[in-house]
Parts: sequence; structure tokens; C-alpha cells
Amino acid sequence: MIELKNVTKIYEINKNNKIIALENINLKIDEGELVVLKGSSGSGKSTILSLIAALSKPTSGEVIVDNKQISKLPDNFASMYRRDNIGFIFQKYNLIPTLSVKENIILPLVPLNPDAQDIQKKLDVVTHRFNISHKENAIVRNLSGGEQQRVAIARANINDPKIIIADEPTANLDEKLSLHFIDILRELKALGKTIVIATHDPLFFDLDFVDREIQIHNGKIIL
Amino acid sequence: MKNKINIYLIEYAINAILRQKAKSFFIVLVFTLLTFLLSSIFFITNSIKYEQDATVNSLPQIIVQKIKAGRHYDIDENVVDKILEIQGVADVIPRVWGYYYFANAGVNFSIVGLDEYEKQYKNSFDKIVKKVELENNNKSFMVLGRGVEKVMKNNYYKKYFNFIKPNGTLKKVNFAGVFDADTELESNDVIVMSKESAKEIFDMDENKATDIVVKVSNPKEIAMIASKIKLIYPDTRIITSNDLKVSYQNIFDYKSGVFLAIFTISLFTFFMIIYDKSSGLSSEEKREIGILKAIGWTIDDVLKEKFYESFIISFFAYTLGVGLAFFYVYMLNAPLLQNIFTGYSQLKTSFELPFVFDIQTLFLVFFLSVPSYIGATIIPSWRVATLEADEVIR
Repeated sequence: MIELKNVTKIYEINKNNKIIALENINLKIDEGELVVLKGSSGSGKSTILSLIAALSKPTSGEVIVDNKQISKLPDNFASMYRRDNIGFIFQKYNLIPTLSVKENIILPLVPLNPDAQDIQKKLDVVTHRFNISHKENAIVRNLSGGEQQRVAIARANINDPKIIIADEPTANLDEKLSLHFIDILRELKALGKTIVIATHDPLFFDLDFVDREIQIHNGKIIL
Repeated sequence: MKNKINIYLIEYAINAILRQKAKSFFIVLVFTLLTFLLSSIFFITNSIKYEQDATVNSLPQIIVQKIKAGRHYDIDENVVDKILEIQGVADVIPRVWGYYYFANAGVNFSIVGLDEYEKQYKNSFDKIVKKVELENNNKSFMVLGRGVEKVMKNNYYKKYFNFIKPNGTLKKVNFAGVFDADTELESNDVIVMSKESAKEIFDMDENKATDIVVKVSNPKEIAMIASKIKLIYPDTRIITSNDLKVSYQNIFDYKSGVFLAIFTISLFTFFMIIYDKSSGLSSEEKREIGILKAIGWTIDDVLKEKFYESFIISFFAYTLGVGLAFFYVYMLNAPLLQNIFTGYSQLKTSFELPFVFDIQTLFLVFFLSVPSYIGATIIPSWRVATLEADEVIR
């Protein structure tokens, strides 16, 4: 399903300053698998997620998803690939704070110009599944951290993507809300989604439904 | 069937405008002010140009004036017969006219004397003498231009007016009505009365005229006939319609220059704003584009949304600016700005700007403003949208 072949990613800050975020990474993730990428800050976990989501391109190597090389997709095709295949839950949620919950959740659908019924149907499914339907018209900036995260999860699932990517999903949550997020993950896994999580939160380690834990250190896979 | 227009995208664009209330308000305010100023300048210029053209077209073909010591004097009416003898001359009409200073209002009126038995040199005067008897039972009557009527009313003259003659005695002339000529410039400050009354007010001799108007059968012969008159009467100044057109055009061009300066300043300010806007987006705006791309919007989707956003805001401000300019110029008669054009005649009665609808002007203001603003919004958005989404969000 997802394959990274000899992937290296170098961020060029300026001519004399380069950061090697990933070095010669090889990784395979099967369909329906839940993989946790562990590692300290700056280890390269988020970069792997970013490459899988085609948010950035590798400096060298290949990223293959469903037998298609996505690392060389032109920008507009990369966007369409994300829209159709990826649900990304960002660490800081990346919601638009002045829009309502509903408006934020349906944002990925807006360019598709769907009819109102279709939108409402999809919205009902995700808001009920992630328990945010009662706040549909609330403005996002007025929500608690946990609620904002549920909005971000709902938005990531509105297109019913095959792959869910979560970058440090519990970094801004207390333990209770983090455990709730883990329950949501379990549910998503049960739905057959392929899930890749980057985290250094010990709550994710040794969970019964996690298929693999991969340790990243200084841009390399250790285990 | 699927809607071609993406309502959700438009809704998002409207939300984006409303989300940045203060910024959007400021842009609308400045944009409206500039389109208002530009449109007002064009509307006033169009109106005055229309008046000017109409006035120029109604000018006499040849005017003959008596000159003594370089000054304009009254001319003998018997000159008429001699000029009539020149081949190609169709008609010769002695005119009686002059200015009367109305001290109460501090304005000058133009008095024109007509003889109902003569052929008139203007169609509008023809209509007056056919309708109104300017002398009846030893009573004098006059027809007033709209501006004059207004000034008279403001000074409580509702039925008649006593003109003060050069010798200090009074001449009472009754009001007989208001007349409309083809243009406001032509008729606004004019009072039409009988030649007899006009001569009395100006203390002119009976066989004298202010000047003489010559009509020529073939307009191509104007210059030739003018030179013949000059040969017969070397003590006269001959003014042809062409000379008058040039002098009117000079005044108009000078005034247009003042307007051009205002126009340039407005455009300069506008493009300064455009430049400022096109030079970059705020970090919030950049981040928003990054988020949209990260959740699956293409560059085209982002640009389409930015197009709607900038079109809505600029078209709204354009419509508002043009609407206000219409109201300001044609309803309020362009206070302050109009004075730049008509300021030379503080002593003249004010005139109303005629409504001239010129679609080209509306297009010109539109193309000067709306596309520039849309471009200034889309270009920096395009720059950000073409970056890797990851880079923008980080």
C-alpha cells in the first residue's frame, strides 16, 4: 500500500546550511495496518508523514502509494491525491479558527462542488462518529482543545480516505482526551483504514491494536 | 445536473472577506473613495464637454465687432445692408447684448435683446419670440434662464425686476417665464428681453448694436467672407466660429489639465495600494493557503477562491464608488469639484451639470480599478500556492 524506497529528504535553509531530515529510508506499510512512528522531536517522523501525504517531495528516492509513485506528482495532482486518499490530522489541528465546525469539516469537499444533500450526508456521518454534531454551528476558536481535535479528525475523514495520518495527535491534549483519541483510532482501524501516527507519547506504545512501532532517530529507522 | 458555479467556494470567499472585517472595510473604503473620485472627474468632464460641444455648435459663423483703441464698441446697424451685399452672405443680424451685475447676489447676468420681427440667430430665441410678447401695452417683459430665476427668487424678486440704468434711473421689466435652451451653459445666466429694453438698460443709441452676426450659405466660404468684411470695414474685428471654437477648446483644455492632475494623483494612490497588496500576504493568509492545499485544494481551487474574494470586494467598492459619483455629480451637482471647472465664473450664476451617460467611462473606471485589484490579490496568492504545502504550514 505505502512504500518508501531509499528516501532522503534534505531541507536547505540556505547555501551553507542544510538539514538532513531523512536518510535512505526504506519502509513498507500494508493496507489496513496501523503503524506508530516513534522518536524524539526532530527525528524525522513528521517528514515521513509529509512525504506520504505528498505535502513535500523527497530529495531522492521514491514514495509509492497503491503502486503509484506520488513523489513525482505535479502539484495539482498531489492535491487531488491528498483529497481522494489522505486524511491528515495535524499536531496543531490546522483548523480555520474563525469558521464554524461545519464549515471547517466540509472544507475538503468545497472544490468538488457537491450538492447540498451529499454534503449533509457526509457531514452527519463524521460529526456523529466523532461526537461533535452538537457543536456543528459553533465557531472553532471557541472550542476546547479536545473538541478542536475532534473537528480535525472529522475533517480528515469527510472524504472517507483510505489512509489516515496523524502527527503528534495528543501533544496538546490531557490524558483523558488522549485516551479518547486512542478509542477513535481503534474505531478507525476497525473501519479498515491504513493509519500512520507519528508520536513520542508513551500512551501509544504497546497498544493491542497497533500493528507495528518503528523507532526513528536522526532521520534513520532504528528498529 | 451539477451547478457550474461553486456556491460553496463563493460562500467561503464571502466568509474570508467577513473574517477580516477591519482590513476589508479599509480596502472597500479606499477603493470606493478612489473609484468615486475617478468617476466623478470623468462624469463632470463628460458633462462639461457635452455642454461645450453644444455651445460651440450653436456659435454664429461670423461676428463683426467695432473696435476703437483696441476696445470693443457698439457698431452702427446700417453696416448690415452693406454686408448683405457681399456674395455668399445668407443673413446679417445685429445683436444687442451685455452683462448686468446684480450686486445683491454678486453675480453677472447676460442680457440679450431680441426683436420679434427680425430673424433670430438662435433657434431657442426663435421659440421665445414666437411664444412671448416682450413688449405689450408699454410694459416690458423678460424670459429668464434657470439660474437667473433661482437667484431672483432667492432675492424675493418674483414678478418683476428694476434694472439700474447707467444714468441711475430704474427700468422695470416683468417676468414672462423661464426658458430652456439646448444646453445649460448657453441659457443658465441669460435674460432675454426686447431690444428696446436692453438698449435702454445699457444706454445704447437706437441705431447701434453690440455686434453683428453674419450667416453664410456655404460654410467653406466663412474665411473668405470674413476677409471681405475686414476689407470693407478695417475698424472691425471679425471673429469666425472657428476662432471661437479654438478659444473655447483652450479653456476646456486648461480645465481638463487640472482634472488630469487630480486623476493622476488618484491613479497614483490606487497603484500604491495595489503595489502594497501585491508585495505579499500576511502570515495568517499564507498559513490558510497552506492548510487548504494540505486538505486537498489544488492551486486552481485556491486561485479561484482568491478571484471570487477579490472580485466581490473590488466590484462592490467599484459599484458603490460609481453610484456615489452619480449621486454626487448629478444629484448634488458636484460641489467643490465643479468649481474647479466653473471657478473662473464666480460672477456667473451656477449651472446644473447635464446627465451624460457614457458606458465607455464606466468601462474605463472598471478596467482601471477592478482587474488591477484582482491581479494584486491573485499574484501573491499564486506565489504561496505554488510552494510545497508542508513548507507553508511549517
